[in-house]
Amino acid sequence: MADKKKLKLPEVGQWPDKLMAPALIAGAVLTTLGFLMAFFIVPPVGGAAVDGVELIGDSMVSQKMLLSQKIFYFHMPVAITSFLGMAFGCYYAVRFLMTKNQRFDTCSRICLEISLLFIIMTMITGEMWTRFEWGVWWSWEPRLTTYLILMLIVIAYFVLRSSVDEPERRATFAAVIAIIATVDVPICFMITRLIPSSIHPVVLREGGMSPEMGMCVGLCALGMLLVGFALYRARFNQVRLTQRVEALKESLED
Amino acid sequence: MACKPPSTWTQYRTLLAKDLKAEFRTKDMIVSMGIYAFLVIVVFGVALSFARPGAEFLEASGGLLWALVVFTSLLGLNRSFSHETENGCLEGLLLAPLDRGVIFLSKATSNLIFLALVEVIAVPLYWVFFSSFAAPAETGWLLVVPLLLGSIGIAGIGTLLSTMTASTRGKDVMLALLFVPIIFPLLYACVSATTCALVGGEVFAEGFFTALALGAGYDVIMILASWVLYDFVVN
Repeated sequence: MADKKKLKLPEVGQWPDKLMAPALIAGAVLTTLGFLMAFFIVPPVGGAAVDGVELIGDSMVSQKMLLSQKIFYFHMPVAITSFLGMAFGCYYAVRFLMTKNQRFDTCSRICLEISLLFIIMTMITGEMWTRFEWGVWWSWEPRLTTYLILMLIVIAYFVLRSSVDEPERRATFAAVIAIIATVDVPICFMITRLIPSSIHPVVLREGGMSPEMGMCVGLCALGMLLVGFALYRARFNQVRLTQRVEALKESLED
Repeated sequence: MACKPPSTWTQYRTLLAKDLKAEFRTKDMIVSMGIYAFLVIVVFGVALSFARPGAEFLEASGGLLWALVVFTSLLGLNRSFSHETENGCLEGLLLAPLDRGVIFLSKATSNLIFLALVEVIAVPLYWVFFSSFAAPAETGWLLVVPLLLGSIGIAGIGTLLSTMTASTRGKDVMLALLFVPIIFPLLYACVSATTCALVGGEVFAEGFFTALALGAGYDVIMILASWVLYDFVVN
């Protein structure tokens, strides 16, 4: 009994709700700032002096590539947010398996929903970049592959959820898959990276980021994380309130 | 007379013997998996009928072999849990006072044995049908090692997943949907090791052992994870 009392459940109206609106606004402002900064302040990689306006009509590929690099400032923050969403999803999945409390299942599911949203955004931005940088829409490069696998597992997670009716069992299976996915993805990344292959294009990386680039990415990442948090919280409130309304309806019927 | 509870080892052996006995009496799974494997080989034959024979084929053949293994094992895994749920055997198993880990291990072992048996038939067949394309290097026989490693991983994680999907709607599709992405890293490592073994020479020395080590790492982590998580799934 004492254990039950100590167990704090996430619920609507707790302190994170107070942060939701400020987080959303701050996230929007920060990502917008990052967007402006990426195009107007941060110079292109490699110290090349290219005027962004003149570039649009220019057909030189190298200059196109310089501009296409800008998507990095959104791609990476979105990817980080999706990973964080996965990590929290896994955390709540473990909590669920420990306590068998449906609330944690709800949290875990919403984390993965938000994560899937960001994963899809990562894939879209990544594909756009790949198209310009390598000239192809898809290549079996380690990061891309890992992301594809992650996306497939998360989609399978939702398909699995929809094909089990019993709530308790559905939650357990979902939690197991959430944990397996979190274990599997780093392995996938490591394996695709460590196994040498002659087919994959070698991705040349510059020696690091200049302070401006770092700042821009940091700004965008912080903004995206805040947006992700606000989305999570909003969705959580929505789902939780729906659940409570359902419960009330049921108790009224009885 | 004092009754001693059977040891874990005895429980494991009994469960495994039960699975094997049930299978060897009906030969249901092995026959269907074997025929399916043969059909996949036929499909490969059609797919490759306009390919030019040559040494380049070796680079693709390891991957094709693994496609064969994955499809065949999917079929086997789908059925491995179906007799348990059909006749309510699972309830009986769960009522018995045994550790859920033992059920997992025995089920995984029986899946591994069936998969290995099918591979023993299918891989030589594959060789017979496609040896006209290109002769593998003398290290080719070493593909047994990644095959074993891959089968262990497939049986381990596959047992967990098939237990879950046995009680879902549309279980065959569900298993494939979960199994393929989750097995991807292992598949990648095994295809790499197999190709290294088949091509031989420098490629072999360069990549074979790395790929094997990574595949083994996946096996260990994933089997441990499934073993721990099986407890929750089976209840």
